[in-house]
Amino acid sequence: MVIFSESTKRIRFKTEPDAPEAIDRILNPLVRRWFRSRFPSYSLPQLHAVMEIHSRRNILVSAPTGATKTLTGFLSVLNELIDSSTKGILEDRVYCVYVSPLKALNNDIEKNLKGPLREIEGLSGGPLGIRVAVRTGDTTPAQRARMLKRPPHILITTPESLAILLTSPRFGDHLTKVSWVIVDEIHALAENKRGVHLSLTLEKLQHAAQHVSRVGLSATVAPLEEVASFLVGSEDGRQRECLIVDVQFIKQLDLQVLSPTADFVGTGHARQHEAMYALIDELVQKHTTTLIFTNTRAGTERVVDHLKERFPARYTENIGAHHGSLSKEHRLAVEDGLREGRLKAVVSSTSLELGIDIGYIDLVICLGSPKSVSRALQRIGRSGHRLHDITTGRIIVLDRDDLVECGVLLKSAVEKRIDRIHIPKNCLDVLAQQVYGFAISRAWDVDGLYRLVRQSHCYQDLARADYNEIIDYLAGKFAGLEDRHIYAKVWHDEERRMIGRRGRLARVLFMTNIGTIPDETQVLVKLGEQVIGTVDEAFLERLRKGDVFVLGGNLYQFQFARGMVAQVSSSTGRPPTVPSWYSEMLPLSFDLALSIGRFRRYMDDRLSKGEGEEALLAFIDDYLHVDARGASALHEYFRQQYDYSVIPTDLRIVVEHYSEEKRTYIVFHALFGRRVNDCLSRALAYVISRLQHHDVEIGINDNGFYLASEKPMQATRALSMLKADKLHVIMDLALNHTEVLARRFRHCAARALMILRTYKGREKYVGRQQVSSMILMNALRRINPNFSIIKEAKREVLEDLMDFTNTKEVLERIEAGTIKVQETRTTVPSPFAANLILQSYTDILKIEDRVEFLRRMHQMVLAKIALGKGRREKGL
Amino acid sequence: MKAGRAPLPGGLEIAGLGAWVPRERTLVIADIHIGIEEHLAGTGVLVPATHFGEVRRQLERLIADLAPAVVVIAGDIKHEFGTISDQEWRDTLRLIDLVAPRARLVLVRGNHDTVLGPIAGRRGVEVTDSYRVGSTLILHGDTVPSEEMLRGAAAVIIGHEHPALTVSDGIKAETYKCFLVGSWRRRTLVVLPSFNPLVEGTDILYGGRLSPLLARGIEGFEVVCVADQAYPFGTVRTLRTLLPDI
Repeated sequence: MVIFSESTKRIRFKTEPDAPEAIDRILNPLVRRWFRSRFPSYSLPQLHAVMEIHSRRNILVSAPTGATKTLTGFLSVLNELIDSSTKGILEDRVYCVYVSPLKALNNDIEKNLKGPLREIEGLSGGPLGIRVAVRTGDTTPAQRARMLKRPPHILITTPESLAILLTSPRFGDHLTKVSWVIVDEIHALAENKRGVHLSLTLEKLQHAAQHVSRVGLSATVAPLEEVASFLVGSEDGRQRECLIVDVQFIKQLDLQVLSPTADFVGTGHARQHEAMYALIDELVQKHTTTLIFTNTRAGTERVVDHLKERFPARYTENIGAHHGSLSKEHRLAVEDGLREGRLKAVVSSTSLELGIDIGYIDLVICLGSPKSVSRALQRIGRSGHRLHDITTGRIIVLDRDDLVECGVLLKSAVEKRIDRIHIPKNCLDVLAQQVYGFAISRAWDVDGLYRLVRQSHCYQDLARADYNEIIDYLAGKFAGLEDRHIYAKVWHDEERRMIGRRGRLARVLFMTNIGTIPDETQVLVKLGEQVIGTVDEAFLERLRKGDVFVLGGNLYQFQFARGMVAQVSSSTGRPPTVPSWYSEMLPLSFDLALSIGRFRRYMDDRLSKGEGEEALLAFIDDYLHVDARGASALHEYFRQQYDYSVIPTDLRIVVEHYSEEKRTYIVFHALFGRRVNDCLSRALAYVISRLQHHDVEIGINDNGFYLASEKPMQATRALSMLKADKLHVIMDLALNHTEVLARRFRHCAARALMILRTYKGREKYVGRQQVSSMILMNALRRINPNFSIIKEAKREVLEDLMDFTNTKEVLERIEAGTIKVQETRTTVPSPFAANLILQSYTDILKIEDRVEFLRRMHQMVLAKIALGKGRREKGL
Repeated sequence: MKAGRAPLPGGLEIAGLGAWVPRERTLVIADIHIGIEEHLAGTGVLVPATHFGEVRRQLERLIADLAPAVVVIAGDIKHEFGTISDQEWRDTLRLIDLVAPRARLVLVRGNHDTVLGPIAGRRGVEVTDSYRVGSTLILHGDTVPSEEMLRGAAAVIIGHEHPALTVSDGIKAETYKCFLVGSWRRRTLVVLPSFNPLVEGTDILYGGRLSPLLARGIEGFEVVCVADQAYPFGTVRTLRTLLPDI
């Protein structure tokens, strides 16, 4: 990309640390004395960053958790505040804004700042008058009023609360001289729309305060240049300067992939499970505190449940589950249990990945592939919290594909090859919400605001036409002239080229509907009046009275549902039926997928040269660092595939045809990760259904996808017709009338404030939102099928949910002949195909016209009725 | 394209989303719900106005096809309860102006039409609780008609219910507006689909019924879906046993 040629100068790595004496010199004597009393020396991140932050330079620090990152960010800030206080020049204003994605983290940070401040006050012999305060959605009106009167010097907040504060006419005054903004866990924000939202808020802050230096704190992430660019944005068309400190790999890593068995196929499911839990138990017993990660919330429950059941003497109150669907009280209790060392093991999905303080963990176990190198390092990095501890991680694999994947993943981790982050760009829904927020603060010149928006890294290429469409939307121009007053959120004076807020309720409306996280279809689970937690609405739909399921590590029996509440009773020892939650499953990163494809190719080369078992085992051992059981299982897996069919690689897509009863299956062994396969399979299914006018069932996973139909499908012809330069047009058509687009449109419409989740003091249930959003989308389509928010929903599906860019890249490689396509026919699915079909997420492409579908179903019903009559007449 | 036509019992016919009484050249439609967009906007959902344009397009087609002498709207011409919104004033008058020059217009009061008088009054259109054409009684269907109203009626046409059928082949599902045809108190009962182009309606295979006329169940009712033409699907009872395993 173009920005990097520029950024090589403006964004630079800092490779040499500063001298400790230099830092000593800038520190106020009080702060220096305090630091000496607490720490023997400066940590590596501190030696790199403290001086730069003191000098107001923008800086991104990438270091593992527990590597004194927080104090690195704050040392210069505390120093400045204490220095000003002792000199009697401390002003009543916010000096530093700290933003993190988690409220829990905010509370930790407050504690971690107030402690040192108290200690320093102790050293100075009196109060210094430095105020630290947390401002989130949970802050009480009394606390808010206090903050307004006497603003905190360090304001700890979330991206959403910061955006709200910036629209406040009175608190806004306290933010006009902010010197630093610290963005923590920036890797977790940059990859989604919350980060996009924040990037505009930072520009608004910068516009209000002029000289703000930006400090980013990040866990393992790549490429750091792009994250730095996300942190700082640009000014007058030039990238702002930023230094990068890369100390991601200062902790020592002790990583292994473990297989519970050497034979994943021959060993029955029950035996395999037994072996896996025995292995988990062995590892947990050998360590003090273990954190276990699963890939789904349901998996989390299952593991706690099984450990308690299999080893009742060892796991009772000393094991807990921690995931996003559990109540806040439950999660806090588990976090406390960890900090106080009362828990032997905690099982989590993604909720403990980020840097909440959880005390000392000496082992992290990942059950199944973490799906990307950076996620693996983040999870495993939760062990050995102190800087010089060794990080210990074990990945336990669940099947043979998992084994290959984790073997390659670990190799990449050890070789420091981290997959690239995807930062969403030009999101029109977030733009609409933020432009509205800007207009609430004051009137803006339309052209000036466009320039300001483009300073954000996420909008640097924003087309003027798209920006204009958003202004038009906010001004209500999508409605007819006579109704415009109902739809307009801002006034737009086209002659003076100004926009501004409209309506007295604007600020309240913005505050109560701000944010980018969509309302999830969550249903409260209650035992009597007690709230147990929540489950997906889709999950509830599948439950029948009497069904038993696991939540929070306990068994419950479903009774009935009323609105958004499900009533349960405690279960009487019946076995649970926990369904798999496909929607939560993490996609395999494209970079890691290609590495796995490469490994497959090396294996294929060796097999075709006739190498024997011994040589191959030696190669696997040398290349992958898996245990002996794993190497043997892996060898057999590849040998079977090679003997029976063809091994697909990074340079060869294998298309496998087979039939089962009346259905024809075509399996595409395309190892590119689910985000690419989702896009590729839909495009292909669309072309096929255009050729044959019939719906096609699609199953997708990370290693490939399959198409199934009762009629023969011209798949190879379709693949050869699918050209890279036509992909966008085809996907645009293929996405119409899909469930996924409808859902994403609802999210986008809510972000763009077209559907207000909270209005006139009332919250709208998700079910209501979905119904409204269908009406809304149909109506908008009639006016303009390319309406900005529909366009955004499609962009989100194509670029954020799927990976359009790399899909196009794959097609280009096929066209250029670097990736070959080879067809095979099998009578039973090949070993590689078996997993793919079993574990796929299926969806159906609605290609068939509504009326055609009705005709077909009508004929079927008539035929069935006739058949029934015939049977009755014959006395059957 | 002509509206889909199909015969109904009692000498009635299906014509598009309406019922047609051929002898008296009377067209019956129901549940237009003018003003739904302004209502939605009032709940914080900014749906732009396309409803009336679509209603006009469909109604003009029906009138051109059938050349009716009378058009009866069997309730819920407008959406808001208790008040009249700007959009309702405007679009209801437009609708009256569309129909009135070509046919006699009768508005049967629905449960959403508590304050319809002022608009209808402005154009001198009749508003009534029920309308009788030949031996057919037309009601909205939110309340049970009196014995007196029913005397001599062989067929009853109602709206109110917004019936629709969700058809699924186990892989995908689509919803279509439908007629329900059955009997009630030894009379033919026809339930009209809604004329509201923004929503299909409520799936008749699930949940309870709204109209007290359907309180005893609809298992024996025939289902006729409407799209480009009418598609008879058999009774609710048969559909219940057939649809899941198709």
